[in-house]
Amino acid sequence: MSDLTQVEKYIRVIDLAKCIGCGSCEAVCEFLYGTPFIKVYRTSMGLDIPISCMHCRKAPCIEVCPTGAMIRDSTGAVYVIPSKCIGCLACLYACPFSIPELDHRSRAAIKCDLCRDLRNKALDPACVAICPTGALIYGFEKEVFTLAKLRTAESIAKARYELASWRT
Amino acid sequence: MRFTFICREKLSKAGSRVAIIGAGPAGLGAAGYLACRGYEVEVYDKLPLPGGLMVFAIPPWRISKDAVLNGAKELEESFGVKFILKTKVYLGNVVRRDEGDDFIEKIMPLDKLIDEYDAVIVATGTWESKLPKLPGVESRGVTTALAYLYKHRIYELGLTSRRPGDGERVIVIGGGHSAIDAAEQALNNGSYPYLVYRRTIKEAPAGVYEFMKAASAGINVIELASPMEIVAEGGIVKGVKFQRMKLGSLDETGRPKPIPIPGSEFFIEADAVIFATGEVATPPFNINEEGILNKLNIRVSKEGNIEVLKEGLSINQRVYVAGDVARGPSRIGPALGMGLQVARKVDYILQARAGKLALVAR
Ligand SMILES: Cc1cc2nc3c(=O)[nH]c(=O)nc-3n(C[C@H](O)[C@H](O)[C@H](O)COP(=O)(O)OP(=O)(O)OC[C@H]3O[C@@H](n4cnc5c(N)ncnc54)[C@H](O)[C@@H]3O)c2cc1C
Repeated sequence: MSDLTQVEKYIRVIDLAKCIGCGSCEAVCEFLYGTPFIKVYRTSMGLDIPISCMHCRKAPCIEVCPTGAMIRDSTGAVYVIPSKCIGCLACLYACPFSIPELDHRSRAAIKCDLCRDLRNKALDPACVAICPTGALIYGFEKEVFTLAKLRTAESIAKARYELASWRT
Repeated sequence: MRFTFICREKLSKAGSRVAIIGAGPAGLGAAGYLACRGYEVEVYDKLPLPGGLMVFAIPPWRISKDAVLNGAKELEESFGVKFILKTKVYLGNVVRRDEGDDFIEKIMPLDKLIDEYDAVIVATGTWESKLPKLPGVESRGVTTALAYLYKHRIYELGLTSRRPGDGERVIVIGGGHSAIDAAEQALNNGSYPYLVYRRTIKEAPAGVYEFMKAASAGINVIELASPMEIVAEGGIVKGVKFQRMKLGSLDETGRPKPIPIPGSEFFIEADAVIFATGEVATPPFNINEEGILNKLNIRVSKEGNIEVLKEGLSINQRVYVAGDVARGPSRIGPALGMGLQVARKVDYILQARAGKLALVAR
Protein backbone atom coordinates (compact mmCIF):
# COMPACT_ATOMS: atom_id res chain seq x y z
CA MET A 1 0.00 0.00 0.00
CA SER A 2 1.45 3.32 -0.92
CA ASP A 3 1.62 6.02 1.71
CA LEU A 4 1.50 9.29 -0.13
CA THR A 5 1.36 12.43 1.95
CA GLN A 6 1.26 15.53 -0.14
CA VAL A 7 -0.94 17.62 2.08
CA GLU A 8 0.61 19.54 4.92
CA LYS A 9 0.38 17.52 8.11
CA TYR A 10 0.96 17.91 11.80
CA ILE A 11 4.36 17.01 13.16
CA ARG A 12 6.00 16.53 16.54
CA VAL A 13 9.68 17.24 17.04
CA ILE A 14 11.82 16.99 20.17
CA ASP A 15 14.13 19.92 20.78
CA LEU A 16 17.04 18.24 22.54
CA ALA A 17 18.56 21.61 23.36
CA LYS A 18 15.59 22.28 25.63
CA CYS A 19 15.01 18.79 27.04
CA ILE A 20 16.30 18.30 30.60
CA GLY A 21 15.35 14.63 30.81
CA CYS A 22 12.81 15.17 33.61
CA GLY A 23 10.58 12.32 32.39
CA SER A 24 7.26 14.21 32.49
CA CYS A 25 6.39 13.08 28.94
CA GLU A 26 7.08 9.48 29.86
CA ALA A 27 5.03 9.77 33.06
CA VAL A 28 1.87 11.08 31.41
CA CYS A 29 2.18 8.59 28.55
CA GLU A 30 2.56 5.67 30.92
CA PHE A 31 -0.35 6.99 32.97
CA LEU A 32 -2.61 7.05 29.90
CA TYR A 33 -1.54 3.85 28.16
CA GLY A 34 -0.01 1.65 30.85
CA THR A 35 3.27 1.57 28.97
CA PRO A 36 5.13 4.69 27.88
CA PHE A 37 5.37 5.27 24.12
CA ILE A 38 7.79 8.10 24.77
CA LYS A 39 10.56 7.18 27.13
CA VAL A 40 13.64 8.96 28.41
CA TYR A 41 16.78 6.85 28.16
CA ARG A 42 19.88 7.48 30.25
CA THR A 43 22.77 7.01 27.84
CA SER A 44 26.32 5.92 28.71
CA MET A 45 27.37 9.58 28.49
CA GLY A 46 24.80 10.42 31.11
CA LEU A 47 22.75 12.45 28.68
CA ASP A 48 19.04 11.68 28.86
CA ILE A 49 17.40 11.22 25.47
CA PRO A 50 13.64 10.84 24.94
CA ILE A 51 12.76 8.29 22.28
CA SER A 52 9.41 7.97 20.55
CA CYS A 53 7.95 7.31 17.12
CA MET A 54 9.00 9.86 14.51
CA HIS A 55 5.84 9.35 12.46
CA CYS A 56 8.05 9.19 9.35
CA ARG A 57 6.65 10.71 6.21
CA LYS A 58 7.84 7.70 4.23
CA ALA A 59 7.18 5.20 6.98
CA PRO A 60 8.87 1.81 6.44
CA CYS A 61 6.54 0.25 9.00
CA ILE A 62 3.51 1.13 6.86
CA GLU A 63 5.19 -0.15 3.70
CA VAL A 64 6.19 -3.45 5.26
CA CYS A 65 2.98 -4.24 7.16
CA PRO A 66 1.45 -7.31 5.47
CA THR A 67 -2.09 -6.76 6.72
CA GLY A 68 -2.55 -3.02 6.40
CA ALA A 69 -2.78 -2.69 10.17
CA MET A 70 -0.16 0.05 10.29
CA ILE A 71 -1.65 3.16 8.74
CA ARG A 72 -1.55 6.93 8.83
CA ASP A 73 -4.41 9.13 9.96
CA SER A 74 -5.44 12.32 8.19
CA THR A 75 -3.28 14.48 10.44
CA GLY A 76 -0.13 12.52 9.65
CA ALA A 77 0.16 10.29 12.72
CA VAL A 78 1.12 6.67 12.12
CA TYR A 79 -0.92 4.19 14.17
CA VAL A 80 -1.94 0.54 14.45
CA ILE A 81 -5.40 -0.94 14.01
CA PRO A 82 -5.14 -3.79 16.54
CA SER A 83 -7.88 -5.93 14.96
CA LYS A 84 -5.94 -6.06 11.69
CA CYS A 85 -2.52 -6.66 13.26
CA ILE A 86 -1.16 -10.21 13.38
CA GLY A 87 1.71 -9.34 15.73
CA CYS A 88 4.44 -10.38 13.25
CA LEU A 89 6.52 -7.33 14.15
CA ALA A 90 7.68 -6.80 10.57
CA CYS A 91 7.19 -3.13 11.50
CA LEU A 92 9.80 -3.42 14.25
CA TYR A 93 12.29 -4.99 11.82
CA ALA A 94 11.63 -2.23 9.32
CA CYS A 95 11.79 0.62 11.81
CA PRO A 96 15.21 2.32 11.93
CA PHE A 97 14.42 3.50 15.48
CA SER A 98 13.14 0.17 16.89
CA ILE A 99 9.88 1.78 17.94
CA PRO A 100 7.03 -0.78 17.72
CA GLU A 101 6.44 -3.08 20.68
CA LEU A 102 4.13 -6.01 21.25
CA ASP A 103 1.13 -5.80 23.53
CA HIS A 104 0.78 -9.07 25.37
CA ARG A 105 -2.94 -8.95 25.82
CA SER A 106 -4.02 -8.03 22.29
CA ARG A 107 -0.91 -9.64 20.73
CA ALA A 108 -0.80 -6.67 18.38
CA ALA A 109 1.94 -4.15 17.73
CA ILE A 110 1.64 -1.00 19.83
CA LYS A 111 3.26 2.40 19.45
CA CYS A 112 2.72 6.12 19.84
CA ASP A 113 -0.32 7.42 17.95
CA LEU A 114 0.21 11.00 19.13
CA CYS A 115 -2.77 10.54 21.48
CA ARG A 116 -5.50 9.97 18.86
CA ASP A 117 -8.23 9.99 21.50
CA LEU A 118 -7.10 13.27 22.98
CA ARG A 119 -6.64 14.83 19.55
CA ASN A 120 -10.17 13.79 18.62
CA LYS A 121 -11.25 15.94 21.55
CA ALA A 122 -9.17 18.82 20.13
CA LEU A 123 -6.48 18.34 22.76
CA ASP A 124 -2.73 18.14 22.19
CA PRO A 125 -0.78 14.92 22.64
CA ALA A 126 -0.26 14.53 26.39
CA CYS A 127 3.55 14.65 26.22
CA VAL A 128 3.39 17.97 24.38
CA ALA A 129 0.84 19.42 26.79
CA ILE A 130 2.85 18.54 29.90
CA CYS A 131 6.46 19.21 28.83
CA PRO A 132 7.72 21.87 31.28
CA THR A 133 10.53 23.09 29.02
CA GLY A 134 8.74 23.35 25.69
CA ALA A 135 11.09 20.71 24.28
CA LEU A 136 8.20 18.92 22.59
CA ILE A 137 6.78 20.91 19.72
CA TYR A 138 3.64 19.83 17.92
CA GLY A 139 1.76 21.63 15.18
CA PHE A 140 1.51 22.16 11.45
CA GLU A 141 4.76 21.29 9.72
CA LYS A 142 5.45 24.83 8.61
CA GLU A 143 4.83 26.29 12.06
CA VAL A 144 7.05 23.70 13.69
CA PHE A 145 9.89 24.20 11.22
CA THR A 146 9.64 27.96 11.67
CA LEU A 147 9.61 27.74 15.45
CA ALA A 148 12.62 25.43 15.40
CA LYS A 149 14.60 27.89 13.29
CA LEU A 150 13.46 30.79 15.41
CA ARG A 151 14.93 29.00 18.43
CA THR A 152 18.21 28.56 16.58
CA ALA A 153 18.20 32.26 15.75
CA GLU A 154 17.55 33.11 19.41
CA SER A 155 20.42 30.97 20.61
CA ILE A 156 22.81 32.44 18.06
CA ALA A 157 21.70 35.93 19.08
CA LYS A 158 22.26 35.06 22.73
CA ALA A 159 25.76 33.79 22.03
CA ARG A 160 26.60 36.97 20.06
CA TYR A 161 25.14 39.11 22.83
CA GLU A 162 27.17 37.34 25.51
CA LEU A 163 30.29 37.69 23.42
CA ALA A 164 29.63 41.40 22.96
CA SER A 165 28.97 42.06 26.65
CA TRP A 166 32.03 40.01 27.57
CA ARG A 167 34.25 42.18 25.37
CA THR A 168 33.14 45.46 26.98
CA MET B 1 2.65 22.63 31.69
CA ARG B 2 -0.93 21.63 31.09
CA PHE B 3 -1.90 19.54 34.12
CA THR B 4 -5.38 19.02 32.69
CA PHE B 5 -4.04 17.35 29.55
CA ILE B 6 -6.88 14.79 29.54
CA CYS B 7 -9.76 17.21 29.24
CA ARG B 8 -10.86 20.53 27.82
CA GLU B 9 -13.22 21.36 30.61
CA LYS B 10 -14.38 20.12 33.95
CA LEU B 11 -16.76 17.14 34.00
CA SER B 12 -20.09 17.84 35.64
CA LYS B 13 -19.67 18.02 39.40
CA ALA B 14 -18.57 14.83 41.13
CA GLY B 15 -19.76 16.30 44.39
CA SER B 16 -16.70 15.33 46.40
CA ARG B 17 -13.97 17.53 47.79
CA VAL B 18 -10.30 16.66 47.74
CA ALA B 19 -7.51 18.48 49.53
CA ILE B 20 -4.01 18.28 48.13
CA ILE B 21 -1.08 19.28 50.29
CA GLY B 22 1.86 20.49 48.23
CA ALA B 23 1.74 22.17 44.81
CA GLY B 24 4.79 20.52 43.25
CA PRO B 25 4.52 18.28 40.16
CA ALA B 26 2.92 15.47 42.20
CA GLY B 27 0.25 17.72 43.73
CA LEU B 28 -0.45 19.65 40.54
CA GLY B 29 -0.67 16.45 38.48
CA ALA B 30 -3.22 15.06 40.94
CA ALA B 31 -5.11 18.36 40.94
CA GLY B 32 -5.31 18.35 37.13
CA TYR B 33 -6.69 14.83 36.94
CA LEU B 34 -9.23 15.33 39.71
CA ALA B 35 -10.34 18.70 38.33
CA CYS B 36 -11.00 17.03 34.97
CA ARG B 37 -13.02 14.38 36.77
CA GLY B 38 -15.22 17.05 38.29
CA TYR B 39 -13.93 17.16 41.84
CA GLU B 40 -13.73 20.24 43.94
CA VAL B 41 -10.00 20.51 44.48
CA GLU B 42 -8.22 22.67 47.02
CA VAL B 43 -4.43 22.79 47.04
CA TYR B 44 -2.53 23.87 50.15
CA ASP B 45 1.04 25.08 49.96
CA LYS B 46 3.32 26.80 52.41
CA LEU B 47 4.93 28.91 49.69
CA PRO B 48 3.42 32.05 48.13
CA LEU B 49 3.25 30.44 44.66
CA PRO B 50 2.55 26.95 43.35
CA GLY B 51 5.17 24.88 41.52
CA GLY B 52 7.26 23.32 44.29
CA LEU B 53 10.90 22.73 43.45
CA MET B 54 10.22 23.52 39.77
CA VAL B 55 9.64 27.16 40.74
CA PHE B 56 11.56 27.47 44.01
CA ALA B 57 14.77 25.54 43.30
CA ILE B 58 15.41 24.51 39.69
CA PRO B 59 17.15 27.37 37.85
CA PRO B 60 15.29 29.23 35.10
CA TRP B 61 17.81 28.10 32.46
CA ARG B 62 16.43 24.58 32.93
CA ILE B 63 12.73 25.24 33.42
CA SER B 64 10.93 28.51 32.89
CA LYS B 65 8.86 29.37 35.94
CA ASP B 66 6.19 30.80 33.66
CA ALA B 67 5.49 27.44 32.05
CA VAL B 68 4.75 25.99 35.49
CA LEU B 69 2.89 29.02 36.85
CA ASN B 70 0.71 29.24 33.73
CA GLY B 71 -0.23 25.59 34.22
CA ALA B 72 -1.28 26.34 37.79
CA LYS B 73 -3.13 29.45 36.67
CA GLU B 74 -5.13 27.42 34.19
CA LEU B 75 -6.10 25.01 36.99
CA GLU B 76 -7.30 27.96 39.01
CA GLU B 77 -9.04 29.99 36.33
CA SER B 78 -10.53 27.35 34.04
CA PHE B 79 -11.02 24.46 36.44
CA GLY B 80 -11.90 26.16 39.69
CA VAL B 81 -8.99 24.66 41.63
CA LYS B 82 -8.47 26.72 44.76
CA PHE B 83 -4.94 27.47 45.92
CA ILE B 84 -4.55 28.12 49.61
CA LEU B 85 -1.03 29.45 49.82
CA LYS B 86 1.32 30.52 52.60
CA THR B 87 -0.37 27.82 54.65
CA LYS B 88 1.58 25.00 56.23
CA VAL B 89 -0.35 21.86 56.97
CA TYR B 90 0.92 20.04 60.02
CA LEU B 91 -0.02 17.65 62.78
CA GLY B 92 2.12 17.42 65.89
CA ASN B 93 2.71 19.12 69.18
CA VAL B 94 5.49 21.34 67.92
CA VAL B 95 5.50 22.40 64.28
CA ARG B 96 8.70 21.13 62.66
CA ARG B 97 10.75 23.75 60.87
CA ASP B 98 11.58 22.78 57.27
CA GLU B 99 13.36 24.66 54.52
CA GLY B 100 11.20 27.15 52.65
CA ASP B 101 9.08 27.97 55.71
CA ASP B 102 9.70 31.74 55.50
CA PHE B 103 6.37 32.74 54.00
CA ILE B 104 3.98 30.83 56.25
CA GLU B 105 1.13 32.92 57.59
CA LYS B 106 -1.08 30.13 58.82
CA ILE B 107 -0.78 26.60 60.18
CA MET B 108 -3.57 24.24 59.18
CA PRO B 109 -3.92 21.06 61.26
CA LEU B 110 -3.83 17.94 59.09
CA ASP B 111 -6.59 16.19 61.05
CA LYS B 112 -8.90 19.10 60.33
CA LEU B 113 -8.40 18.55 56.59
CA ILE B 114 -9.00 14.82 57.01
CA ASP B 115 -12.32 15.62 58.69
CA GLU B 116 -13.40 18.24 56.18
CA TYR B 117 -12.52 16.61 52.86
CA ASP B 118 -13.47 13.33 51.27
CA ALA B 119 -9.83 12.61 50.59
CA VAL B 120 -6.46 14.19 51.36
CA ILE B 121 -3.42 13.74 49.13
CA VAL B 122 -0.08 14.44 50.77
CA ALA B 123 2.52 15.64 48.23
CA THR B 124 4.88 17.70 50.35
CA GLY B 125 8.18 16.62 48.80
CA THR B 126 11.60 16.70 50.43
CA TRP B 127 12.18 20.10 51.98
CA GLU B 128 14.97 19.25 54.38
CA SER B 129 18.54 18.83 53.20
CA LYS B 130 20.99 16.38 54.68
CA LEU B 131 24.16 17.88 56.08
CA PRO B 132 27.03 15.54 56.87
CA LYS B 133 28.19 15.50 60.48
CA LEU B 134 31.53 17.20 60.01
CA PRO B 135 33.45 19.47 62.33
CA GLY B 136 32.63 23.09 61.54
CA VAL B 137 29.49 22.31 59.54
CA GLU B 138 27.47 24.80 61.62
CA SER B 139 29.74 27.71 60.57
CA ARG B 140 28.39 30.76 58.80
CA GLY B 141 28.79 30.36 55.06
CA VAL B 142 27.78 26.70 55.03
CA THR B 143 24.51 26.09 53.26
CA THR B 144 22.62 23.48 51.26
CA ALA B 145 21.92 23.39 47.53
CA LEU B 146 18.20 23.68 48.18
CA ALA B 147 18.60 26.70 50.48
CA TYR B 148 21.09 28.31 48.08
CA LEU B 149 18.95 27.90 44.96
CA TYR B 150 15.75 28.81 46.83
CA LYS B 151 17.34 32.11 47.88
CA HIS B 152 17.99 32.95 44.23
CA ARG B 153 14.52 31.92 43.10
CA ILE B 154 12.67 34.02 45.68
CA TYR B 155 14.83 36.98 44.75
CA GLU B 156 14.03 36.55 41.04
CA LEU B 157 10.34 36.25 41.88
CA GLY B 158 10.47 39.52 43.76
CA LEU B 159 9.50 37.80 47.01
CA THR B 160 12.49 39.23 48.82
CA SER B 161 14.55 42.33 48.25
CA ARG B 162 17.60 40.62 49.71
CA ARG B 163 20.00 40.00 46.87
CA PRO B 164 21.75 36.68 47.37
CA GLY B 165 25.42 37.43 47.95
CA ASP B 166 27.69 34.53 48.63
CA GLY B 167 31.25 35.72 48.32
CA GLU B 168 33.65 35.07 45.55
CA ARG B 169 34.87 31.63 46.38
CA VAL B 170 32.28 28.88 46.37
CA ILE B 171 32.65 25.14 46.92
CA VAL B 172 29.80 22.81 46.00
CA ILE B 173 29.90 19.25 47.31
CA GLY B 174 27.85 16.51 45.67
CA GLY B 175 27.23 14.62 42.44
CA GLY B 176 23.55 15.02 41.62
CA HIS B 177 21.45 17.49 39.67
CA SER B 178 21.22 19.85 42.62
CA ALA B 179 25.03 19.96 42.84
CA ILE B 180 25.27 20.87 39.15
CA ASP B 181 22.52 23.46 39.52
CA ALA B 182 24.16 25.06 42.57
CA ALA B 183 27.54 25.18 40.83
CA GLU B 184 26.00 26.68 37.69
CA GLN B 185 24.21 29.21 39.85
CA ALA B 186 27.49 30.23 41.46
CA LEU B 187 29.12 30.46 38.04
CA ASN B 188 26.22 32.59 36.89
CA ASN B 189 26.89 34.90 39.84
CA GLY B 190 30.37 35.48 38.56
CA SER B 191 32.42 33.10 40.67
CA TYR B 192 34.45 30.12 39.48
CA PRO B 193 33.18 27.51 41.89
CA TYR B 194 34.68 24.19 42.83
CA LEU B 195 32.46 21.17 42.40
CA VAL B 196 33.73 18.27 44.46
CA TYR B 197 32.46 14.70 44.23
CA ARG B 198 33.70 11.70 46.19
CA ARG B 199 33.50 9.19 43.35
CA THR B 200 34.38 9.81 39.69
CA ILE B 201 31.96 11.59 37.38
CA LYS B 202 31.26 8.21 35.77
CA GLU B 203 29.40 7.24 38.95
CA ALA B 204 27.78 10.65 39.49
CA PRO B 205 23.96 10.63 39.47
CA ALA B 206 23.93 13.77 37.30
CA GLY B 207 25.98 11.91 34.68
CA VAL B 208 29.21 12.48 32.78
CA TYR B 209 27.63 14.85 30.30
CA GLU B 210 26.48 17.39 32.91
CA PHE B 211 29.87 17.32 34.62
CA MET B 212 31.78 17.80 31.36
CA LYS B 213 29.50 20.67 30.46
CA ALA B 214 30.06 22.21 33.89
CA ALA B 215 33.83 21.83 33.54
CA SER B 216 33.90 23.44 30.11
CA ALA B 217 31.81 26.34 31.39
CA GLY B 218 34.49 27.15 33.96
CA ILE B 219 33.51 25.10 37.01
CA ASN B 220 36.48 23.42 38.70
CA VAL B 221 35.43 19.80 38.91
CA ILE B 222 37.33 17.69 41.43
CA GLU B 223 36.67 13.98 41.52
CA LEU B 224 37.51 11.46 44.21
CA ALA B 225 37.60 13.83 47.16
CA SER B 226 35.48 14.01 50.29
CA PRO B 227 35.24 16.77 52.91
CA MET B 228 36.77 16.05 56.34
CA GLU B 229 36.32 19.37 58.07
CA ILE B 230 34.89 22.83 57.48
CA VAL B 231 37.62 25.20 58.57
CA ALA B 232 36.24 28.33 60.19
CA GLU B 233 37.54 31.37 62.00
CA GLY B 234 35.28 33.10 64.49
CA GLY B 235 32.41 30.95 63.26
CA ILE B 236 32.86 32.05 59.65
CA VAL B 237 33.89 29.66 56.90
CA LYS B 238 37.46 29.92 55.66
CA GLY B 239 37.56 26.79 53.56
CA VAL B 240 37.25 23.03 53.48
CA LYS B 241 39.75 20.31 54.29
CA PHE B 242 39.32 17.43 51.87
CA GLN B 243 40.72 13.94 51.65
CA ARG B 244 41.39 12.07 48.43
CA MET B 245 39.45 8.90 47.73
CA LYS B 246 39.95 5.78 45.66
CA LEU B 247 37.25 3.46 44.43
CA GLY B 248 36.75 0.14 46.17
CA SER B 249 34.36 -2.75 45.68
CA LEU B 250 30.68 -2.21 44.92
CA ASP B 251 28.46 -1.06 47.78
CA GLU B 252 24.74 -1.68 48.38
CA THR B 253 23.82 0.94 45.74
CA GLY B 254 25.83 -0.98 43.13
CA ARG B 255 28.45 1.73 42.84
CA PRO B 256 32.10 1.43 43.82
CA LYS B 257 32.64 2.52 47.38
CA PRO B 258 34.89 5.55 47.88
CA ILE B 259 37.74 4.69 50.26
CA PRO B 260 39.81 7.44 51.91
CA ILE B 261 43.52 7.59 51.09
CA PRO B 262 45.40 8.32 54.32
CA GLY B 263 47.72 11.33 54.23
CA SER B 264 46.07 12.79 51.14
CA GLU B 265 44.45 15.80 52.80
CA PHE B 266 44.27 19.09 50.95
CA PHE B 267 42.65 22.45 51.61
CA ILE B 268 40.54 24.77 49.44
CA GLU B 269 39.75 28.29 50.58
CA ALA B 270 36.14 29.43 50.37
CA ASP B 271 33.58 31.93 51.62
CA ALA B 272 30.63 29.69 50.84
CA VAL B 273 30.30 25.93 51.10
CA ILE B 274 27.23 24.34 49.57
CA PHE B 275 26.28 20.78 50.40
CA ALA B 276 24.25 19.06 47.72
CA THR B 277 24.18 15.76 49.54
CA GLY B 278 20.52 14.83 49.36
CA GLU B 279 17.20 15.79 50.85
CA VAL B 280 14.76 13.92 53.06
CA ALA B 281 10.98 13.62 53.02
CA THR B 282 9.02 16.26 54.93
CA PRO B 283 5.52 14.89 55.59
CA PRO B 284 2.99 17.24 57.20
CA PHE B 285 3.12 15.55 60.58
CA ASN B 286 5.62 14.69 63.26
CA ILE B 287 7.15 11.37 62.28
CA ASN B 288 8.42 10.83 65.81
CA GLU B 289 5.07 10.92 67.54
CA GLU B 290 3.79 7.35 67.77
CA GLY B 291 0.26 8.51 68.50
CA ILE B 292 0.07 10.50 65.28
CA LEU B 293 1.47 7.72 63.10
CA ASN B 294 -1.03 5.28 64.59
CA LYS B 295 -3.89 7.69 64.18
CA LEU B 296 -3.06 8.22 60.49
CA ASN B 297 -1.99 4.59 60.12
CA ILE B 298 1.20 5.68 58.49
CA ARG B 299 4.65 4.11 58.59
CA VAL B 300 7.89 5.92 58.02
CA SER B 301 10.71 4.05 56.28
CA LYS B 302 14.35 4.03 57.37
CA GLU B 303 15.13 6.72 54.79
CA GLY B 304 12.38 8.92 56.21
CA ASN B 305 9.96 8.41 53.30
CA ILE B 306 6.38 7.84 54.27
CA GLU B 307 4.55 4.66 53.53
CA VAL B 308 0.84 4.49 53.91
CA LEU B 309 -0.53 1.09 54.64
CA LYS B 310 -2.78 -0.73 52.18
CA GLU B 311 -1.91 0.49 48.69
CA GLY B 312 -1.28 4.11 49.40
CA LEU B 313 -4.22 4.78 51.67
CA SER B 314 -4.56 4.92 55.41
CA ILE B 315 -6.98 3.16 57.73
CA ASN B 316 -9.55 5.91 57.52
CA GLN B 317 -9.21 5.65 53.72
CA ARG B 318 -8.83 9.36 53.41
CA VAL B 319 -5.09 10.00 53.32
CA TYR B 320 -2.99 9.29 50.25
CA VAL B 321 0.65 10.00 49.51
CA ALA B 322 2.34 10.94 46.23
CA GLY B 323 5.64 12.19 44.87
CA ASP B 324 9.00 12.57 46.54
CA VAL B 325 7.57 12.61 50.06
CA ALA B 326 6.63 8.98 49.43
CA ARG B 327 9.62 7.75 47.48
CA GLY B 328 12.44 10.14 48.31
CA PRO B 329 14.16 12.55 45.91
CA SER B 330 13.50 11.65 42.29
CA ARG B 331 12.68 13.70 39.22
CA ILE B 332 9.72 15.74 38.03
CA GLY B 333 8.35 12.92 35.84
CA PRO B 334 8.18 10.19 38.48
CA ALA B 335 6.65 12.62 41.01
CA LEU B 336 4.07 13.80 38.47
CA GLY B 337 3.32 10.20 37.45
CA MET B 338 2.72 9.12 41.03
CA GLY B 339 0.46 12.14 41.59
CA LEU B 340 -1.63 11.06 38.59
CA GLN B 341 -1.80 7.40 39.66
CA VAL B 342 -2.83 8.32 43.19
CA ALA B 343 -5.46 10.74 41.88
CA ARG B 344 -6.94 7.97 39.75
CA LYS B 345 -7.07 5.73 42.82
CA VAL B 346 -8.81 8.47 44.80
CA ASP B 347 -11.34 8.83 41.99
CA TYR B 348 -12.07 5.07 41.98
CA ILE B 349 -12.44 4.90 45.72
CA LEU B 350 -14.64 7.96 46.00
CA GLN B 351 -16.82 6.71 43.17
CA ALA B 352 -17.10 3.31 44.83
CA ARG B 353 -17.92 4.96 48.11
CA ALA B 354 -20.60 7.08 46.48
CA GLY B 355 -22.02 3.95 44.80
CA LYS B 356 -22.22 2.14 48.10
CA LEU B 357 -23.92 5.08 49.73
CA ALA B 358 -26.47 5.15 46.95
CA LEU B 359 -27.22 1.45 47.51
CA VAL B 360 -27.75 2.02 51.19
CA ALA B 361 -30.01 4.95 50.49
CA ARG B 362 -32.19 2.85 48.21
C1 LIG C 1 18.18 21.73 43.09
C2 LIG C 1 17.31 20.71 42.45
C3 LIG C 1 17.39 20.51 41.09
C4 LIG C 1 16.59 19.57 40.47
N1 LIG C 1 16.68 19.43 39.12
C5 LIG C 1 15.86 18.56 38.50
C6 LIG C 1 15.91 18.41 37.09
O1 LIG C 1 16.69 19.05 36.40
N2 LIG C 1 15.06 17.52 36.51
C7 LIG C 1 14.19 16.78 37.26
O2 LIG C 1 13.42 16.01 36.68
N3 LIG C 1 14.13 16.90 38.60
C8 LIG C 1 14.95 17.76 39.23
N4 LIG C 1 14.89 17.88 40.59
C9 LIG C 1 13.96 17.01 41.34
C10 LIG C 1 12.50 17.49 41.26
O3 LIG C 1 12.44 18.86 41.49
C11 LIG C 1 11.65 16.75 42.30
O4 LIG C 1 11.81 15.36 42.13
C12 LIG C 1 10.16 17.09 42.19
O5 LIG C 1 9.94 18.47 42.23
C13 LIG C 1 9.36 16.43 43.30
O6 LIG C 1 8.01 16.78 43.18
P1 LIG C 1 7.00 16.76 44.43
O7 LIG C 1 5.71 17.27 43.92
O8 LIG C 1 7.03 15.44 45.06
O9 LIG C 1 7.64 17.77 45.50
P2 LIG C 1 8.01 19.34 45.46
O10 LIG C 1 8.29 19.81 44.09
O11 LIG C 1 9.05 19.51 46.48
O12 LIG C 1 6.69 20.05 45.97
C14 LIG C 1 6.26 19.93 47.30
C15 LIG C 1 5.43 21.15 47.67
O13 LIG C 1 4.88 20.95 48.97
C16 LIG C 1 4.98 22.15 49.71
N5 LIG C 1 4.99 21.77 51.14
C17 LIG C 1 5.94 21.07 51.79
N6 LIG C 1 5.57 20.86 53.07
C18 LIG C 1 4.36 21.44 53.22
C19 LIG C 1 3.45 21.55 54.32
N7 LIG C 1 3.71 21.00 55.51
N8 LIG C 1 2.30 22.25 54.14
C20 LIG C 1 2.01 22.82 52.94
N9 LIG C 1 2.83 22.73 51.87
C21 LIG C 1 3.99 22.05 52.01
C22 LIG C 1 6.24 22.78 49.23
O14 LIG C 1 6.19 24.18 49.45
C23 LIG C 1 6.23 22.43 47.74
O15 LIG C 1 5.58 23.42 46.98
C24 LIG C 1 15.69 18.80 41.24
C25 LIG C 1 15.63 19.00 42.63
C26 LIG C 1 16.43 19.94 43.24
C27 LIG C 1 16.34 20.13 44.72
